Amino acid sequence: MNKSEQALSALAEMDELAARQSPIHRLHPIAKLLVTIAYIFTVVSFGKYQLSGLAVMALYPVLLFQLSGIPARTCFHKLRIVLPLVMAVGLFNPFFDRSPLLYLGTVPVSGGVISMLSLMVKGVLCLTASFLLIAATPIDSLCAALRRLHVPSLLVTLLLLTYRYVGVMTEEVSIMTDAYRLRAPGQKGIHISAWGSFLGQLLLRSMDRAQELYASMLLRGYHGHFHYAAVNPFRPADGAYLVCCIAVFALLRFVNVAELLGRLLVR
Amino acid sequence: MHMADALLAPAVAATMYAASGVTAGISIHKLRKDDEPQKLPTMAVTAALVFAGQMINYTIPGTGSSGHMCGGMLLSALLGPQAGFLSMIVILAIQCLFFADGGLLALGANVWNMAFYGCFVGYYLIWRPIQTGRWFGSGKSAQRARIIAASIIGCIVTLQLGAFSVVLETSLSGITELPFGAFCALMQPIHLAIGLVEGLITSAVLLFVYESRPQLLRDVDPAPGAAKRSLKSTIAVLAVLVLVVGGGLSLLASSNPDGLEWALFGNEDAGYSQNMGLDEEDYGVSSDAADKAGSIQEATAFLPDYAFADNDTPVGTTVSGIVGSVMVAGVAVLICLAGGFFRKRKTAAG
Amino acid sequence: MIEFRNVSFSYEKDTPVLQDLSFRIDAGESVGLIGANGAGKSTLMKLLLGLLQGQGEILVDGLAVSKATLPEIRRRLGFVLQNSDHQMFMPTVYEDMIFAPLNYGVSREETEQRVDAVLEQLGLTALKHRHNHKISGGEKRMAAIATVLAMEPEVILMDEPTSALDPYNRRIVINTICSLSQTRLIASHDLDMILDTCDRVILLSQGRIAADGPAREILRDRALLEAHRMELPFCLAGRE
Repeated sequence: MNKSEQALSALAEMDELAARQSPIHRLHPIAKLLVTIAYIFTVVSFGKYQLSGLAVMALYPVLLFQLSGIPARTCFHKLRIVLPLVMAVGLFNPFFDRSPLLYLGTVPVSGGVISMLSLMVKGVLCLTASFLLIAATPIDSLCAALRRLHVPSLLVTLLLLTYRYVGVMTEEVSIMTDAYRLRAPGQKGIHISAWGSFLGQLLLRSMDRAQELYASMLLRGYHGHFHYAAVNPFRPADGAYLVCCIAVFALLRFVNVAELLGRLLVR
Repeated sequence: MHMADALLAPAVAATMYAASGVTAGISIHKLRKDDEPQKLPTMAVTAALVFAGQMINYTIPGTGSSGHMCGGMLLSALLGPQAGFLSMIVILAIQCLFFADGGLLALGANVWNMAFYGCFVGYYLIWRPIQTGRWFGSGKSAQRARIIAASIIGCIVTLQLGAFSVVLETSLSGITELPFGAFCALMQPIHLAIGLVEGLITSAVLLFVYESRPQLLRDVDPAPGAAKRSLKSTIAVLAVLVLVVGGGLSLLASSNPDGLEWALFGNEDAGYSQNMGLDEEDYGVSSDAADKAGSIQEATAFLPDYAFADNDTPVGTTVSGIVGSVMVAGVAVLICLAGGFFRKRKTAAG
Repeated sequence: MIEFRNVSFSYEKDTPVLQDLSFRIDAGESVGLIGANGAGKSTLMKLLLGLLQGQGEILVDGLAVSKATLPEIRRRLGFVLQNSDHQMFMPTVYEDMIFAPLNYGVSREETEQRVDAVLEQLGLTALKHRHNHKISGGEKRMAAIATVLAMEPEVILMDEPTSALDPYNRRIVINTICSLSQTRLIASHDLDMILDTCDRVILLSQGRIAADGPAREILRDRALLEAHRMELPFCLAGRE
């Protein structure tokens, strides 16, 4: 499988997940979007030593994975893309911040280690949250939600159209890559002599494609407006979900539940 | 260069969102005013093309490795800065939503670091002045040279700016203990190389377009003739040169990062002159250096750790905190078990 | 219904693509447009749709195709593109189908009814909420036809409706075309399909009409077809 094919199957996988049915899938897209943003905001706002506070925040994705039936495996597979950068940035912390913050028995744990761990936990939690959003919400409902939130229609329509053609173009790149490879055994990538023409050819063809696409829009009466599928009404349940989640996040941000629970056992 | 949510403090993320949002608003306004309805499908298809094009591996001659392109310069040369910027936003949004590349909260910062510099700085300060400035004389070969020069300078400069912004945003967020200068010394040279490769790829693609359909390129004369070099564009190109040279100098400076740190934040009273260069063996390990770094961090981060700057026993790092976390983990396992149980019952019933 | 009066067109000077075309198509007719590559089939369609402007006069329902009449004209014409990916630019089949009716000011309720009726008619009800990039080539072609039918056009234009389809899906498309009652103009190299779906054939060659008559006559005329870089349909060619 070449890189473009991997991207295609990743896209297909997300679509398949979003098309499933579950209580989470049925929630209104606006509620899901706002809750996700609130969650990420809360997670990022934790201080760099508040590892146990972050641990409690992990319950939200766990709960959502269970309620939506979305396999966590797919999500963790995706973490490999962005975690390296987070790791790279965090890895220096133990070297610079060496004052011991706590003792596990007699072993001192430095602030740098704690802040490195909390950075990684934040990275995982944030990505998991956005993954859950998109895995439980089809792109068209998400775009409709963005429209309702008064994101400019030009941008939303562009997102929708681009998403549609990402699949088409990626497939074309995949076919061209394979065709190139078959005639260039042993080459890892595109040779410098073809740097311009490989993408250039595709670019010229895309311009023609854009023309045809525009024609097909015109022929169906396009005059500057896009119509979206009607979104289900915002139910009281959606409102309740939104309010509850945000309240709980706020609570968890300011009250360290892990600490309190721990105190019940340890004095 | 995609930043993750975890690398940003909420205030920094919100600031970047606001900056990118305002730029997007202005771009949308401009495009609405121009009223070219066929632009929308062109933007969508070109954005999709650039997205797909990022997956092509280009072999770098003489090395075993391969390069990629990210597309800001390419988009603005084809679509203009405003349309290019919006297309980049959409590409970055799709990458963050469907491929976990970047993050929802970091989107504003990523748009700024990659799309704003690539499209607006790249177009107004580099692409247009070089194309309209009649540099290298007139005629076809001069036009080719202008395209190559603009692509390469554009990619290098915009990537340097982008990488610098990443460093700045991360440092302002107080995420890393890595001193600002050392972080710069890590990021800038890497992105110099990346920018050069990206510039070469971009120029190759744009040259191909120029040979086959020159009217697609912005500010490029399809049938070049003689024209005068304008003062305005000369000044702009000079400004860019200053920027490039300045960037080079700052790179030199960053091999002695304290110097840069000192220059940027005026820390003279600290008498901070220890070399923290990456080449030193005891880099950042001696506690003295670590303390100094910590103090620098305190001084430089304008968003210091909100709650726990000088707490004796910060909440969440005590033993009870650990015990509590273990209990939370227990709850998580219970949720999973319950979820599995109910699903099984449901499938059994259905 | 459709009338071409002395229509000519050229992309570049001195290389005419279409020269002095005149013909008319009556309501309810099903006409095949055939000709070698570069004969001018696509250009003819684009002129009719007002995507290109040439010399001469083109009338649709008595209305001359011009900038002022374009909205009226396009509302009556449904065009099925050769590449369904270009036709279907919305995420789902359903959203693509509501695009045109809502643009033409049809109410949401009526649009819903039309969509369901068309899907029912073509046996595509299961496709309604599927994503356009996830359905097969054959399904995509049928869905593209459905999008056009949801406009309730008076004339349906098709550019290579059976290209790149397997025999099974090709047969489905042919049956669908035959079941339509609208006026049809179908451009294709698939002469067997033309024979199955059209009563009349217009043969274009080098920008001129080389023949215009009943499909069964023209498509049987080996000498005529071969003179214009074509071959007999397979079903009439017999075995050598």
